[in-house]
Amino acid sequence: MLKGLFNIVVKEVKELVRDPKILLGMIIVPLIMFPLMGFAIQTSMEAVEETMGKLALGIMDQDHQSGVENLTAFLNALDVPTVIIEKPDLATAITYVAQSNLTGLIVVPPGFSQNLTETRKARLTVYTVFRGGGIAESSSSSVISSLLQTFEASLVTQKVSQAIPDDDPSVVLDPIEMSEQSIVGGIGVNVRPDVFFGVMMSQSTGMPIGIMMLLIFSMQLAATSVASEKEEKTLETLLTMPVSRFTILAGKLTGSILVAVVGAIAYIVGFSFYTSSLTGFMPNAGVDLAALGLAPTPLSLILLGVSLFLSLLSALALAISISIFAEDVRGAQALVGPLSIILVFPMIFTMFTNIYTLPLPLMILLLAIPFTHPMLAANAAFSGNYLTTLLGIAYVAGFTVIVLYIAARMFGTEKILTTKLKLRRFRLRRSN
Amino acid sequence: MDPRIAIEVKNLGKVFGDIRALDEFQLQIRTGEIYGLIGPNGAGKTTALRILATLLLPTSGTATVFGLNVVDEAAEVRKHLTYLPEEAGAYKNLSGHEYLEFMTKFTIRNPAERKEVVEAAAKISGLGDRLRDKVKAYSKGMKRRLLVARTLMTRPKLAILDEPTSGLDVLHSVHVRGLIKEYVQRHGVTVLLSSHNMLEVEYLCDRVALINQGRIVAEGSPSELKTRYNAPNLEEAFAKVVSVA
Ligand SMILES: Nc1ncnc2c1ncn2[C@@H]1O[C@H](COP(=O)(O)OP(=O)(O)OP(=O)(O)O)[C@@H](O)[C@H]1O
Ligand SMILES: [Mg+2]
Repeated sequence: MLKGLFNIVVKEVKELVRDPKILLGMIIVPLIMFPLMGFAIQTSMEAVEETMGKLALGIMDQDHQSGVENLTAFLNALDVPTVIIEKPDLATAITYVAQSNLTGLIVVPPGFSQNLTETRKARLTVYTVFRGGGIAESSSSSVISSLLQTFEASLVTQKVSQAIPDDDPSVVLDPIEMSEQSIVGGIGVNVRPDVFFGVMMSQSTGMPIGIMMLLIFSMQLAATSVASEKEEKTLETLLTMPVSRFTILAGKLTGSILVAVVGAIAYIVGFSFYTSSLTGFMPNAGVDLAALGLAPTPLSLILLGVSLFLSLLSALALAISISIFAEDVRGAQALVGPLSIILVFPMIFTMFTNIYTLPLPLMILLLAIPFTHPMLAANAAFSGNYLTTLLGIAYVAGFTVIVLYIAARMFGTEKILTTKLKLRRFRLRRSN
Repeated sequence: MDPRIAIEVKNLGKVFGDIRALDEFQLQIRTGEIYGLIGPNGAGKTTALRILATLLLPTSGTATVFGLNVVDEAAEVRKHLTYLPEEAGAYKNLSGHEYLEFMTKFTIRNPAERKEVVEAAAKISGLGDRLRDKVKAYSKGMKRRLLVARTLMTRPKLAILDEPTSGLDVLHSVHVRGLIKEYVQRHGVTVLLSSHNMLEVEYLCDRVALINQGRIVAEGSPSELKTRYNAPNLEEAFAKVVSVA
């Protein structure tokens, strides 16, 4: 029945892949842009670390007591070099530090040490030098203040152990130890909720974005492959070839899916390059969901795959049905574009809410959109709620069959050749 | 069915909205002849050819190709014909060679035979080495030659050619006409064509139908038409018939 399918698929893939616009947008951009972005971020992060390594502080001592010595000793012990600035006034000290390669200046006013010993507020002024070095430099001020906080904490510990010599100062200061855990899918797991949430977020954002990319790509491709037959005037010839219209349709669907998969893989590769250059600097990484028994089971992955494939098919059939009305590629893409809004819609909802908790009409509306279902299936892969996934698959299958049938019907009749004229006349009438 | 009849059209009507493109259209084409449709712009030539090529559905009447109904047995009809649309292109990102290969694969399974056919097409088109270039680098005439070549190369039982030489220079038109004649004589192809070039019609066609406003207003061999309308050439005969009609 599908005789000649392979021939058409090969032709579709060649036509699409050799189209410079498609090649550029789908393969070159993600494979070059994302890694470049990642590289830029990585380089600046490395620059930050380098700055940390080169941290050096000037200290203007107007106190001349033991407190200053303690501070300097503390900093030096942490491998932060210090220079005592011997200048008559603040202005000259600042000028001096600005011209040196010091990271900042700590001004210790008179009475600092005495205030510390007598438990009164002791003040410090910290200047961070900005030399226009971007992100790397902006982080130095926070490094300096965290150094000073550690110093402060050491003073507190000292005070506490003097006041309560028999107790462990760390216990006095932090008497309760909390172990934070989560309950996921009815099971308690030894992972902090914020960590778990972070991992879930990265799973549940990565998934919909990948699905959406794949859908949008393949829809644009399918629209292009139909509309370019019209634009290049190849359709009439193709339709008189001894091959069924359904085979032509199937060839276009398959070709678009194949190219879209390549495009989506390019995006995923490019994007993971990008994220992997960030993860080194992100907390929460490295939680192994599989080890916690929270990884998707093979069954749930298969269901997800089926749901995804069906909704992909329906999206493509939809795109083809719509692009039959277009006269050229540009028109087809303009018609298919709004459909991507329908795609983004369920994605946003499944990302940020549990759609079953939404008001009923909104929930029904979302469930009516077939693209909601692979997103739900992706979530169900973690919750283990297979029944809803199966119902979703049944619904999407029905939807797909109907849309495919419509697309095949349109391809089978003369509408595909004559519709554009009707549209043109319709437009003329409206403008009259 | 009568094997001597290639195309039989009875009372064919086609309406687009409120435009009557074909009206009580009748036609009988014998196997192995070259039959020409001539007529002013908008007369309905392309519409008639498209119905026979199974692209459009008639509003009324019937049309058969080798005894097969073009509506009910469209899939079977397509196995016997090739169609050259009036305005046609080829896939711009394929090379001319790949395009011919692609088209041949629908009808010919045997690779050796396919190779022969594509070589024949290379000769018909006269494109030579340029067949290796992408179609997007072709001129209008080169594209037309590629498409003419693809309609003839498989030696179909019926070739429907809508203005086959439109856009071709004088030399290539002569070349293509010679080939059409050769394919009919040597390979028994039946040809139904439309044309605005009366010289071409006179040279090629065994019989001609003159169409005006969706109806056949005169039919016969070019010489018959000339005598009937007492005209020195087809062009003048055409002018007389259409102005009278
Ligand atoms: N798809 C369509 N929708 C509406 N009207 C159409 C369509 N195709 C053709 N027509 C109308 O049908 C009539 C016949 O058109 P057709 O293309 O068959 O003429 P033709 O004889 O091939 O003309 P030409 O010599 O200009 O190629 C014209 O009035 C045309 O406007
Ligand atoms: Mg025409």
